[in-house]
Amino acid sequence: MLLLQQLINGLMLGGLYVMVAVAFTLIIGMLNFLNFTIPALFMFAAMMMWATMTGNLPFGNDFLFAIFGEHNIWIAGAIVSIVSICLVSLIIERFTYRYMKAKYGDATEHALPLVSSLGFLIIFEHLVIGQWGSDPLQIESPFGDATFTIGTLIFSYPQVISLALSLAIVFLLSHVIRHTKLGRALRSIAERPDTATLMGVDVLRIVPVVYVITGLLCAISGILFTINYTSIDAYIGDTVATVAIAGMVLGGLGNVWGAVVGGLFVGILEVFSIYIVGADFVKVPIWGLLLLILVFKPTGLFGHTAIGKGKF
Amino acid sequence: MLLDAREVNVRYGRNHAVKTASVSLDHGEIVTVLGANGAGKSSLLKALLGTVRAEGRISFDGTDISGWAAPRRVKAGLVMVPEGRQIFVSLTVHENLLMGAWCRNDDLETETEAVYERFPNLAERRHMPASVLSGGEQQMLAISRALLARPKLMMLDEPSLGLSPILVRQLFDLIRDLNREGLAIMLVEQNTRMALATAERGYVLELGAIVLKGRAKDLSSDSRLEEAYLGGKSDRASL
Repeated sequence: MLLLQQLINGLMLGGLYVMVAVAFTLIIGMLNFLNFTIPALFMFAAMMMWATMTGNLPFGNDFLFAIFGEHNIWIAGAIVSIVSICLVSLIIERFTYRYMKAKYGDATEHALPLVSSLGFLIIFEHLVIGQWGSDPLQIESPFGDATFTIGTLIFSYPQVISLALSLAIVFLLSHVIRHTKLGRALRSIAERPDTATLMGVDVLRIVPVVYVITGLLCAISGILFTINYTSIDAYIGDTVATVAIAGMVLGGLGNVWGAVVGGLFVGILEVFSIYIVGADFVKVPIWGLLLLILVFKPTGLFGHTAIGKGKF
Repeated sequence: MLLDAREVNVRYGRNHAVKTASVSLDHGEIVTVLGANGAGKSSLLKALLGTVRAEGRISFDGTDISGWAAPRRVKAGLVMVPEGRQIFVSLTVHENLLMGAWCRNDDLETETEAVYERFPNLAERRHMPASVLSGGEQQMLAISRALLARPKLMMLDEPSLGLSPILVRQLFDLIRDLNREGLAIMLVEQNTRMALATAERGYVLELGAIVLKGRAKDLSSDSRLEEAYLGGKSDRASL
């Protein structure tokens, strides 16, 4: 029964990794680069959530508490978090894609976006550390320990809702990519951005949409993480995103459903690793697995024959 | 005049790819642009479509479109079939057609059905990934995709490249058919003989500049064509 409980905990944790892994895989599939701003976005979303809920925003705290009240301040936190992430995503798009494309033609053929995204990660972490320090920060869970039990297995309501929400979002996203006009455009841009332009697709208007979608995935994941685990710090993005990268690689780069399976799997792997080898070593099995996959099956479980670009 | 481009210049850094070239094309006309590899043919097309930065004045269907971005030009009916076909192989055949109609929001059913009627090979594979198509079928799909944009002018960049002689003949038949149905066509080709046999007028580009222009009939008997095109007589006896 203990093992089964661990499995459930792992699935719940994996649900949060899923969204981050899907965010990574979207940018890899479409723009062919590993977007290191994703950890920054996750962390920033979690931080905004914390700052709003604990009255640590640089401005607007009293105003938000007046509107939402002590009890519902988490809703304000989610809104602040989502709005700020959308804005930040658009700024990031400019510096990791648009200006590069304007200057070098096809930005995605260069390692440059990866480097500039790394720059964003470092800048964001240090802005947050400068403002709020690097110590762990706590929130009061807005839902207390709302749990239900099936037999002897314990489920937490926020976690179950998180997992369901995560899967629902990915399902919706996958539907959009597969069956809508926007999705066709996304896939065609992923494969041949210049040819998509010949069809009249305004690539420079659609790519920001992708950045906002990945930003939203990170934001929702960051918000849910904060609510569920109540403790965050400035490096939470690194901690979570590195595991999510392993999940994405396991599922196959650029494959949305692969990222789902991979994300859930690494969640379970992490929980079991903590149980077996302890929290200090938890990254070793996860990244060990990643190294093995890269050598023996670089396309992951569900990846196509080629790695990277244009593989939704 | 459907298309009137005056003194178009394209520069890539120090490379002056198109040098003060002026081309025009009337409603319902087929015009060919000839020239060797690197003569600037593709750059000229890209300048007309607006996918590269270009100087010059381009008017299309009576409107000055020089400052327009590519999507707006496509919407206005200036459509290109790119070199190498550039089919989206991760999309199905049908989705490729729908991508061609990106700029439109009206009903496409009659037009996609017309395409399938014209090309039964595409109809059979409409729900398969476009990667299963042969080279010739991909070219048909590329042209059909462009047709779905409801072009007033279709610009074809080296459509015969890599096709067998039989397929090349079918392709040129198709181009003539489309023209007979009223479509204006700008044909960039290295297959000089076929292009001149199909087009009414032609331009010859050399190192980015137009060195010859005139009626296709006159061009095909002009000895300067061979010189301009090949930079002197060479082993291309097939001309």
